[in-house]
Amino acid sequence: MEKSGKLFVFFIVLAVIGIIFITRLFFLQIVDTSNYYKALAYGSNEVTIYPARGTIVDRYGKLLVYNDAVYDLMAVPQKIKNINKEKLCKVLQIDTNDLNGRIKKASRYNTREASIIYKSLPFHIYSQLQEIIYDYPAFFIETKIDRRYNINGAAHLLGYMGEVTERQLQNEKYYKPGDIKGMSGMEKSYELYLRGKKGKKIVLVDKFSKQQGSFAGGKFDSLPIAGQNLIAAIDLNLQEFGEQLMKNKFGSIVAIEPSTGEVLSIVNSPNYDPNLMVGQTRNKNFSALLLDPRKPLFNRALKAPYPPGSTFKTVQALIGQQEGVLFPDTKYPCHGGYHMGSLTVGCHPHASPLDLEHSIQQSCNAYYCYVYRSILDNPKYKSVQDAYLKWTQYLNSFGIGVKTEIDLPEESPGIVKKTQYFERVFGKNWRSSNVISLSIGQGEIGLTPLQMANVASVIANRGYYYIPHVVKAIGDEKTLPDIYKVKHKALINPIYFDSVIAGMARVCKPGGTAGRTGIEGITICAKTGTAQNPHGAHHSIFIAFAPRINPKIAIAVVVENGGYGADYAAPIANLMIERYLETDKTVTTRKDMLDRMLNANLVGSTVYDLPKPDSTLRKTLLPLTPKP
Amino acid sequence: MNYYNKASEENIRIDWLTVILYILIVGFGAMNIYSANSTIDHTFIFDLTMEYGKQFMWIGVAAVIVFLILLLDPKFFNFSGYGIYAVVIAMLLVLLATGAYNKGAQAWFKIGSFKLQPSEFAKYATALALAKFLGTFDVKFAGKKNIAICFGIILLPMILTLAQNDTGSALVFASFFLVLYREGLSGWYLVIGLYLAALFVFTILFPSLYLIGVILILCGVVAYFYKKYRQMLWLSIIVFFASAIFILSVDFIFAKVLQPHQQQRILVTLNQDVAEYYPRKAKEFSLFKIDMNRKDKKASKRDYSYNVRQSKISIGAGQWLGNGFNNGTQTKAKLVPEQHTDFIFCTVGEEYGFVGSSIFVLLYLLFIGRLYYMAERQKNVFARVYGYSTASVIFFHFFVNVGMALGVLPVIGIPLPFMSYGGSSLFSFSMMLFTFLKLDANRVNEISSVY
Repeated sequence: MEKSGKLFVFFIVLAVIGIIFITRLFFLQIVDTSNYYKALAYGSNEVTIYPARGTIVDRYGKLLVYNDAVYDLMAVPQKIKNINKEKLCKVLQIDTNDLNGRIKKASRYNTREASIIYKSLPFHIYSQLQEIIYDYPAFFIETKIDRRYNINGAAHLLGYMGEVTERQLQNEKYYKPGDIKGMSGMEKSYELYLRGKKGKKIVLVDKFSKQQGSFAGGKFDSLPIAGQNLIAAIDLNLQEFGEQLMKNKFGSIVAIEPSTGEVLSIVNSPNYDPNLMVGQTRNKNFSALLLDPRKPLFNRALKAPYPPGSTFKTVQALIGQQEGVLFPDTKYPCHGGYHMGSLTVGCHPHASPLDLEHSIQQSCNAYYCYVYRSILDNPKYKSVQDAYLKWTQYLNSFGIGVKTEIDLPEESPGIVKKTQYFERVFGKNWRSSNVISLSIGQGEIGLTPLQMANVASVIANRGYYYIPHVVKAIGDEKTLPDIYKVKHKALINPIYFDSVIAGMARVCKPGGTAGRTGIEGITICAKTGTAQNPHGAHHSIFIAFAPRINPKIAIAVVVENGGYGADYAAPIANLMIERYLETDKTVTTRKDMLDRMLNANLVGSTVYDLPKPDSTLRKTLLPLTPKP
Repeated sequence: MNYYNKASEENIRIDWLTVILYILIVGFGAMNIYSANSTIDHTFIFDLTMEYGKQFMWIGVAAVIVFLILLLDPKFFNFSGYGIYAVVIAMLLVLLATGAYNKGAQAWFKIGSFKLQPSEFAKYATALALAKFLGTFDVKFAGKKNIAICFGIILLPMILTLAQNDTGSALVFASFFLVLYREGLSGWYLVIGLYLAALFVFTILFPSLYLIGVILILCGVVAYFYKKYRQMLWLSIIVFFASAIFILSVDFIFAKVLQPHQQQRILVTLNQDVAEYYPRKAKEFSLFKIDMNRKDKKASKRDYSYNVRQSKISIGAGQWLGNGFNNGTQTKAKLVPEQHTDFIFCTVGEEYGFVGSSIFVLLYLLFIGRLYYMAERQKNVFARVYGYSTASVIFFHFFVNVGMALGVLPVIGIPLPFMSYGGSSLFSFSMMLFTFLKLDANRVNEISSVY
């Protein structure tokens, strides 16, 4: 037997290889930590768990907005191979070309990431799809939430949801393509509270992105945090009543609780059913609403400045007193109007002369021409321009000509012109007579219905207002942002309100401009307005608050082309006040007036069909539990 | 002398250390296959629809095979050495013929759902045949005829496997040259082999002309220091010219002989940017102008490095102690292709970390070392050559397989013996190992080969 030293060589080789391998292992596993982090990234998929969005209830706790689960069919285009398209198409009820188109569209966006193939699967399709989805590994169903509205109005107030846009995706990192967020109304302005916080679950995936279980025992997972529920200031009953009253009329109602600034109702007409803005038919409905000639998407209450007409006299009377040019017993004559040179501002026949209180009751145009002239031509100021500037400051303190900062998006500041505007129109040395129509709220002035209601609120509070807000409380702690707890003082001494309110209290009583619209048992302080409209019949306008002592509601009503303020706006406002103040919500002392308002049709004979909500939507409350 | 009595007592002395190591490795392998292959839906250990379930079945079958082998008379192996070799060669030829007929490589016979891979058994047969030849009375690894026969025994199955496009399995036959080294092949051949391999690597990494310049300087220095010896001068000159020609032909071999995926695997192992490599080489001086055809260009754009990248990430993710059994995130996610077969070491790396992997590597090397040690202690040449063959084949597999998973060797698809999934591989290695254990157990009954 030959001995050989070569065994030793073999051992050396084994040892060397052992050293090489262990060194390499040390480098890969201990020194180079990048592999560890790559492993985290490669082997896992972050799955978003959508939280339940906060619900919205009205001021008495009645449910307005809630959630329902919707199911999107998602697919990773890269992985769609050798599938039975016919079977899938049959279940989805689309043809093969449509499906191919959807897949192509998805792959154009990203072939490796899941995209939506079929949005908001109707429930019957969803249940059928559940049975066959396992044959289609590239496809899966993602559960998202969709909104359901328990009311078929108040759409402008509640708002609607929509898919985040390209731009929003860039600006806000929270959102991912396909996410939905509030696009208007409370849904938009309280998005941060309502949306909650998305949870994430890191799941291990194989190379086919098939889920293999949770990563690191769920150490890096986070549960979704449900959105905060909102208590809206709105009174659902009052809102629905207002919408009934405004049916077949164009216009708006805004009701505010003066002592808090809470918005009790915001009625826009025409309105639309917020349930149109969800589900399969959302986009179709949206474009139908957008193209509707009556502009149902337009939020008149916040965005349409109307000339306030005679309702503006209340403001003028207050500014005049504060400026020291008007006293409660100041009397001005009126003989069919205000005459100055060639200028005439007409007025209806009434007793003359009138004092301040009765000028409000009778809505004398001439009286306020004198008042406004005395304000602008006040010798205290160097020029009319300075006086006008001071006047606009008063207006701004009422929330006129500036945004009220209500907690709803897209608000118009209304119209209050700057002196420069009049310089352009009338020359550098324009005079008070140039702008005399402003005295009675006509001409270069515009208030949104919200601003009008806010003016009523200021008068009701005798000199201050809270920023109108549609939210009463946020979340379980029932908090309210501090900005809504701050008194905004109008630049008017409270003592000057006495005669104005006394005048307003006479308006809905016999002898007042809306004498036939009063409600028995309620002292309504109001002011009618009839805004001349170059495009057609006058706008019927009315501001009011009630009761006189310790006011509970301040309201503004605008009925476009409704004629005199007393014709439509006053009855509607007073019915609203009655409905809000009386405990019994079913009866009215003014059945005649109610019927007249409900039956009135100012829209004309043209019949438009508003789109109807998707009938396949399940209007049931489902507990929204994220799928594991 | 009671020499013979003592011998008969030790008649059944199986080397238990090796058996224990074998059981440990096979068991550990099954655990890792379970880890890599089981899914949420399939966790039952004996789920035969899954490969881990089948592996448990193969282990059972292997136990039966091992038992049968231990029952056989050790003389059987010596006796039937050529016969088994002939059968396996015949099977390879049949496969080659049917493969050609089917217009594609086919490396297995299908028996029910079991695919028998003759190339796996070819190693066993070759080891037996080589041992039989060198164990023949009066035959030594010397003389042109004997050397040629030895080379023939090794190269015949190697070429047949290569013809089936199974490059990995074919390369394994190179491990028999280690056996020949033990039996008398000059170590210089191995040194030359290593030298050429090193030149090959350097040529890919550095410009050819620089490399030739460096070799010229080295040869010059050697020739200067040994100027007294005329032989050294000539040797230097020969080495220089041989190296230069080799270097200048490497690019050609690389681009034309190797297939695109092989080229890429080599480049990736050497940390070369695939996209950057070909333009760089095209600018260099070369004896053969390499024009990549369109097919090659297209192929070179495909990413063949995915496997190795994933493998390194998996192993790296293990860190010190690993994620623990059945907890490897990469493993469970099935991100490494072929993880339960050729890349089974990734599972070890990820789930048992640096500590576990190092222990595994040391254990495996101990196992191989034990086989070499046992081979050396054989009293007859047949058993010794067979033992060295067994150890070397296992060693080659281990070296290439783990080296590939660690990214220090290019990807060559060969299994890790006793660990990777696969019936053929487990059977052939078990047969090979236990044949040797039987021979070893019987060694004391053998009278030294020098009768």
